[in-house]
Amino acid sequence: MFRPEEMVKIEVITLNRYKDALLTYLHEKGAVEIRELDVKVAQRDSPNEYHRKAASYSITISRLVEFLAAHLRRKGGGIKEFFFPPERKKRKYRYEGIEKLIKDVEEFLSRVEPQVKAVEGKITSIQTEMERIKGEIAVLELLSGLNIDVSYLRPTDMLEIVVGTVDRNKFKPLVEEIRKATGGRVVVVSRDLKDRVLAVFVFLKRDQDRVNPILAKYSFERIEVPEGKGTPEELIKAYRSKLKEKEKELEKAKKDAEKLAERHYDDVVFYHELVENERDKATVLPMLARTNMTFALTGWLPRVRVPEILEGIKRITRGKAYINVREPTDEELEEIPIKLKNPWWAKPFEMLTEMYGVPRYDEIDPTPIITFTYSFFFGFMLTDFMYGLILAIISALLVKGHKKFNDGTYKFSYTLLVSSIFTMIMGAIFGSYFGNALDLAGFHVPRVWDTFKDALVVLQLALAIGLAHLFTGYTIGFIVKLKNGDVRGAVLDQLSWMLIILGIVAFVLGSNSPSGSMIAKALFGVGLVLFAIGEVVSNGGLAALLIISDFFGFVGSWLSYARLMALALATAGIAMVINILVQMIWGVSIGPVPIGIVIGLILFVGGQLFSVAINALGAFVHSLRLQYVEFFGTFYSGDGKPFEPFRAKREVSELEFEA
Amino acid sequence: METGAVSGILNTTLALIFTWVGYKTSKIIYKYTPYSYPNARIKAMESKLLTEQRFNELAESRNLQNFIVNLEDTDYRDYLAEVQEPDVESVEKALEKALAGTYELMARILPRRVSPFFRLLLEEWDVRNITSVVKAKLAGEPATDYIVEIGPMLPKVKAMAESKSMEEILVILEGTPYEEPYQRLLLGEIDVRTFETELYRMYYGKLLNYALSKKEEERTILEEFVRLRIDRMNILTVLRGKVAKLSAEEIRPMLIPGGSVKLDPLLHVEDLGMALAELDSTRYGPVIRDVREEVERDLGVLERALEGYIIERMNELNRFYPLSVATPLGYVLQKGREVKKLRAIAKLISDGLPPERIKELAGDVA
Amino acid sequence: MDPIVYVSLGAALAAGLAGAASAFGVGIAGAAAAGVVAEDEKNFKNALILEGLPMTQSIYGLITLFLILMVSGILGGGFKFTADNPDNIVKSAILLGAGLTVGLTGLSAIPQGIIASAGIGAVAKNPKTFTQGIIFAAMAETMAIFGLVGALIMIVTGVGF
Repeated sequence: MFRPEEMVKIEVITLNRYKDALLTYLHEKGAVEIRELDVKVAQRDSPNEYHRKAASYSITISRLVEFLAAHLRRKGGGIKEFFFPPERKKRKYRYEGIEKLIKDVEEFLSRVEPQVKAVEGKITSIQTEMERIKGEIAVLELLSGLNIDVSYLRPTDMLEIVVGTVDRNKFKPLVEEIRKATGGRVVVVSRDLKDRVLAVFVFLKRDQDRVNPILAKYSFERIEVPEGKGTPEELIKAYRSKLKEKEKELEKAKKDAEKLAERHYDDVVFYHELVENERDKATVLPMLARTNMTFALTGWLPRVRVPEILEGIKRITRGKAYINVREPTDEELEEIPIKLKNPWWAKPFEMLTEMYGVPRYDEIDPTPIITFTYSFFFGFMLTDFMYGLILAIISALLVKGHKKFNDGTYKFSYTLLVSSIFTMIMGAIFGSYFGNALDLAGFHVPRVWDTFKDALVVLQLALAIGLAHLFTGYTIGFIVKLKNGDVRGAVLDQLSWMLIILGIVAFVLGSNSPSGSMIAKALFGVGLVLFAIGEVVSNGGLAALLIISDFFGFVGSWLSYARLMALALATAGIAMVINILVQMIWGVSIGPVPIGIVIGLILFVGGQLFSVAINALGAFVHSLRLQYVEFFGTFYSGDGKPFEPFRAKREVSELEFEA
Repeated sequence: METGAVSGILNTTLALIFTWVGYKTSKIIYKYTPYSYPNARIKAMESKLLTEQRFNELAESRNLQNFIVNLEDTDYRDYLAEVQEPDVESVEKALEKALAGTYELMARILPRRVSPFFRLLLEEWDVRNITSVVKAKLAGEPATDYIVEIGPMLPKVKAMAESKSMEEILVILEGTPYEEPYQRLLLGEIDVRTFETELYRMYYGKLLNYALSKKEEERTILEEFVRLRIDRMNILTVLRGKVAKLSAEEIRPMLIPGGSVKLDPLLHVEDLGMALAELDSTRYGPVIRDVREEVERDLGVLERALEGYIIERMNELNRFYPLSVATPLGYVLQKGREVKKLRAIAKLISDGLPPERIKELAGDVA
Repeated sequence: MDPIVYVSLGAALAAGLAGAASAFGVGIAGAAAAGVVAEDEKNFKNALILEGLPMTQSIYGLITLFLILMVSGILGGGFKFTADNPDNIVKSAILLGAGLTVGLTGLSAIPQGIIASAGIGAVAKNPKTFTQGIIFAAMAETMAIFGLVGALIMIVTGVGF
């Protein structure tokens, strides 16, 4: 707790022939973050032909996956699957080197790809054909204004016939110019469309060279005349029935695709995962150094996993490896990847720390603290027993259903579960059950404070909590800086604020007795002086300005905790608004039908659910903000590099291999 | 004081506050709202630009069929779907169309007060196409090979390429702004190089006028963009001239007015090295310093460096004004670079070069 | 002016201004959300949450409206300040002030919408910036929160339940 996982650096040199096996072992274990090895004498390793093949097959198969997924008939869905998604079955694959794997993939592809491609090609070709027919129908609809048999609109041996559209205001000059150019040997038929003119020009083939530039000059857009005989109307009918036929064909082709998807979807996903992992494995190759016979790799791994990994490497290389495990040096402090380490109850909250940024190796990990403060603030802002209960039930179900995946949903719902417990406690303290619903219904609800009537007390409470939160932050910063030997920083940046806060507290508590206020003034004064010195030391000339702005920055951060009260009020307020509306409508009845009760119930349920959703979002955002902006601002950098192990992603496959 | 006076003061204050708040609010809303949709969409599109890793994988394609398959999970797919028999020309055309599509999308989704700028930008391809066609015609080569499939005048350009004589082209260009310089070219008043410069001058003049007609940050960004482009063009012209040992008087007519860098001192230096030294004190100094050695061998390196600088600068402006026209400008430049690189890779693949060599050469293109 | 005018104006401005501002804010962010979803549907969840942030100001406005209506007796009972004496004028003016505070600080929903819009774009480009985007947008809400706290102090101390 409070410290990230201890890391050690590992260096391995071994024979090239163990490379594939060793990398696969590390990939499956996912314990080492491999780093670039900078050796001048040796050359870098690079992907070989098989890795390249893996990359290109990965794209090919991902296309197949996409196509089949689009045609897969989904089973289930629904609420049950949302809470309790079934675990996907992991299929075993016996790994005997990348060459064999690629061969297997090729064998699989040669079987399945042609089938899929055939269906896909059929669907696309039908679709293009349909698009073409639709286009022709559109053209025919355009031509229907002319009411001429379309076969007359095609060029003959002697005559050139062009059909097309042109801007209405350009039409006249166009006709005139063509008349002039051809010496009047031209026939024009035209129909007005909206702001364009549909026109047919008939002229002699030998005038073509003279007419074409003119047509281009006026941006005459040619229309391809569809095939067939008869007037446009007749042809449209023919084309429409053709379209119907195609639609039927499409339907059938899609059925085929569905069958194909049912048969091969799981396989395709399985093989995709296999090659995708090979592709990922190849990305570390440029980080390795190699000679003709040997290769070397280096990386970071958590100390707790050292024995296991050492054992594994020795087994795979039959002991023919040079392995060096050493402590990180001071120069490497910046480079050490950070893996957070927390007890089980705080572990899911690491997500919140990671979203902001993990600590540096010599910094403290704030996860256990924000586990408490985040949940508490969330509860304070939501402050309703029933809302807490609703959230608790939903998140408890999600926690149960997703625990086995250890995914984002699990972590998030765990944080929500803890927060909702605080929400219930706070709700009970404030006597809030769907806002003031119980009060309106005539019950006597026990409460310590009322959100509205004791608003000022709540505000004081919020500000006191804020002060305590900030004080905690500065204290942690003070301790961390002292530990890292930065005494000046600790005293000037952190101790100063701690004293100022203590001064404020003493002032409030001891305002009655003269000695109390003396102490308060002394603490506050010393803190202020230290703070001013700190500003002068770090900023020099600008200090005067910054003292003012930073001091009010502190006041701003502190007042920012007023949002605890504002959001608590907002929750109670919306709930109250809904309750009052329901109360107003409750008594309404048309004749003997108590319509008011029905509408009132719907309004109540819908309104309260909306209220839970919007207020929970507000509580999440603002509780997080108080951690990130106000709290972390006092001591935390979050500049660390997160630990990104070289790890395979296995959802539907499992590798069986022995070295 | 009387109650009447107090409430009078109160009312006036209220009225003032409301007017001010209303004015400020409506200004903010007018300024940012129209960019909300397009810029968010463009950011999403930026995340789909191809990564270096993807380019490497594309370089490994070995043949054009695979190249197309490798692009199937991108937005190029719709354009490449039209390619039936994969050959370089049709792939290149499809890629160009994709780029044109990007510009058109920008013109469509951006607020009306700047969208015409992107249509104007497309005219650069008109200028390029027209000069290529004219040059090809003068040299008696088949002009259709030189056409890039972009530009608002594309149908006219195609008709020009198919025309049989120089006079026919004049007929086609009639009524467009390009008619006048072309007439002078036909009459022999100017040579083809001046014709080209003239066209570019018109193009950049239009862009600059448009940029200057805008207000506030839109003007700042557009103006910066246009001036950077003009500078890039001019610097390259001067340096190419210096390599070809042209005199100041010969180079001067080829320059385009409106750039931000003073070019006079540059014109009068002896050779390329000194010209580069002269540029060192300008804003392009740092850019050139990084590639100095290579530039002396190959000016293409400088062209890319300057292009990269413009993109970098647009990104900077983009960070400064997230909801402004800088985002789409930066994006179209990046997309242009991507298309250029893809075209190069496609070409190299069809030439049958090994993947390692393609990676190297494609890296040089953009 | 009559006390009733002050009171109802206060209530109306609190809910009206803040609500209008929220509408603009959500509108701006919503346009951005539509933009990123048009490119990639997986942006939906992130965009939705960011889009909802500027909505809170309208809630603060609504709460203030109800508080004003309650303390002045319009809701439940009868209007308390009908008599035209100085005490009633002062109380109703305070309520107007409280409503105005919340209404004007509620305008922070518009810049919040703009920040959310930029945030939605940034998240589409790099999903890791989601939390940062939320925190940036939440910054703009601070003013509205201060406004609500201020208004509440005015109502509770100046008029009382």
